[in-house]
Amino acid sequence: MSYLSGYRVRPKLAFRVWQREVTLYKRIWPSTILSSLLDPIMYLLALGFGLGAYVSQGIGGHSYLEFIAPGLIASSVMYAAAFEGAWNSYVRMFVERSYESMMATPAELEDVLAGEFAWGATRAFLYSIVMLLVLRAFGLVHSWYALLIPPIAVLAGFMFMAIGLSYTVRCRHMDQLTFFFTLGVTPMFLFSAIFFPLSGLPVPVQVVAWFSPLYHLVEVTRGLALGEAGFALFGHFAWMLVVTVLVWGLPALALRKRLQT
Amino acid sequence: MRASHVGDRVVDAVVARGLVKSYGDVQAVRGIDFVVPRGSVFGFLGPNGAGKSSTMRMLYGLSPKTSGKLEVLGMDVSKRGREVKRRIGVVPQEANLDEDMTTRENLRSYGRFFDITGRVLRERVERLLEYVQLTEKGDTVVSELSGGMKRRLLIARALLNDPELLILDEPTTGLDPQSRTLLWERIREQRREGKTVLLTTHYMDEAEKLSDQLVIMDQGRIIERGAPRDLVTKHLGREALEITVLPEEDKRIVACVGTLAMAHERFGEDLRLFGQDGEAMLSAVLGAGVKPERHLVRRATLEDVFLKLTGRGLGE
Repeated sequence: MSYLSGYRVRPKLAFRVWQREVTLYKRIWPSTILSSLLDPIMYLLALGFGLGAYVSQGIGGHSYLEFIAPGLIASSVMYAAAFEGAWNSYVRMFVERSYESMMATPAELEDVLAGEFAWGATRAFLYSIVMLLVLRAFGLVHSWYALLIPPIAVLAGFMFMAIGLSYTVRCRHMDQLTFFFTLGVTPMFLFSAIFFPLSGLPVPVQVVAWFSPLYHLVEVTRGLALGEAGFALFGHFAWMLVVTVLVWGLPALALRKRLQT
Repeated sequence: MRASHVGDRVVDAVVARGLVKSYGDVQAVRGIDFVVPRGSVFGFLGPNGAGKSSTMRMLYGLSPKTSGKLEVLGMDVSKRGREVKRRIGVVPQEANLDEDMTTRENLRSYGRFFDITGRVLRERVERLLEYVQLTEKGDTVVSELSGGMKRRLLIARALLNDPELLILDEPTTGLDPQSRTLLWERIREQRREGKTVLLTTHYMDEAEKLSDQLVIMDQGRIIERGAPRDLVTKHLGREALEITVLPEEDKRIVACVGTLAMAHERFGEDLRLFGQDGEAMLSAVLGAGVKPERHLVRRATLEDVFLKLTGRGLGE
């Protein structure tokens, strides 16, 4: 069993796994989309309008509201995939044991995980579209480049799923998932340049923030939504791509060992 | 050693040699050998923790063997797992259905993993719902089904790919008598259709009624094997006499029954004597002036065999 085995995926079987999630999602999508939208909109209203009133000079030539709005697309993409990779996946793996049921078919663990990654990416894709529409309605999206955000949300979805599952497969109790949020997701949400540029922070903090996957997604979504698509965006995109590829194989490695007991 | 191939034809559904499964320092399966002939019902009987489920999980590739040889349908499970799984059906010990899907959706979703799609899938799903008497529950969400219905759905799910080998891990544990009877009937039918059925159970009546051949497992080893009735006859004869007497009397009773009894066991308040003729043993006991509080002549069973072999009951 090696790290590389996580990359040996049969796309057709991964597609069956994804299809199964779609069947399940058909029952619950209206409530999940609605509830996942409420959070970012609250932040938009509270901070954008509330705090924004005191940041009258704006940031980088944009009003404060315009500055934070694209970042909130990024954070809803992260939350969509992180919840899928943490709570939902934990339930699938260890409570409902649906991984085992799928592995009794020709599918192997690697196919199941790839299908689940793809499902998390799908949710990230959907949420990014809905968020874009909402922000457009608020008049906060100005550029056609913004249409590139949903496909990039797919990559980010894969990335956050792979990261989330790498943690989830090691959890012994559901309560341990909380640490993933309090020590991982929430700090990322706060220190990834959604609400303020990193340039104002001490250099060591900036360095740490550079390792935050969300930071790179925020930079990309902001650049595209505000029509400031510079060459730097490719760098952020490449960062996410590399991390996704590197982390992809980790959940399979740990879960193989665990399912044997 | 039996050959598992004759030309290209695979004769045996499963061949295991020196099969071992370890979890860290603990050996759950300690080097077992068995051969499951095609078209038979093969039973694994033993108490919980005997290594039955570990063996089953190796068979369908969920947990890799530690060492030894394991061939299913002529294929090495560790090398050709996907192909093996394409041709077998599995009913796991714990129901792992999609609780939030309907009965019908469960089957359709599962069937797609075997590349069964479209009209073929729809027809097969309806036929199997009928087969396990769940047609009326087709659109019911699984979490609302009873335990027996879920078990029947698991059987239907395991049959979706028309498997050559059906693996049933404790299929009737905790089931109501009605569902149990239906399941037994379906298992016999599968055998009549030429399929191989591998079944684990800790119910000795189930093992005895269903299996052509069985192995008795205890503490990771196979301690006995054969046809159920043969095993009983070999170890105990045909009948059992249970008498409620004080343990102090055991020695005297065993002596007066003499060669009429092939074996005897003390089990709680009862002394159990085994032999060809229960009534004859009873006459001998009564003739010697023993006055048991209670007595019963019955058929000897596999559970008695297990008790004799291990000194323990199968338990629940």
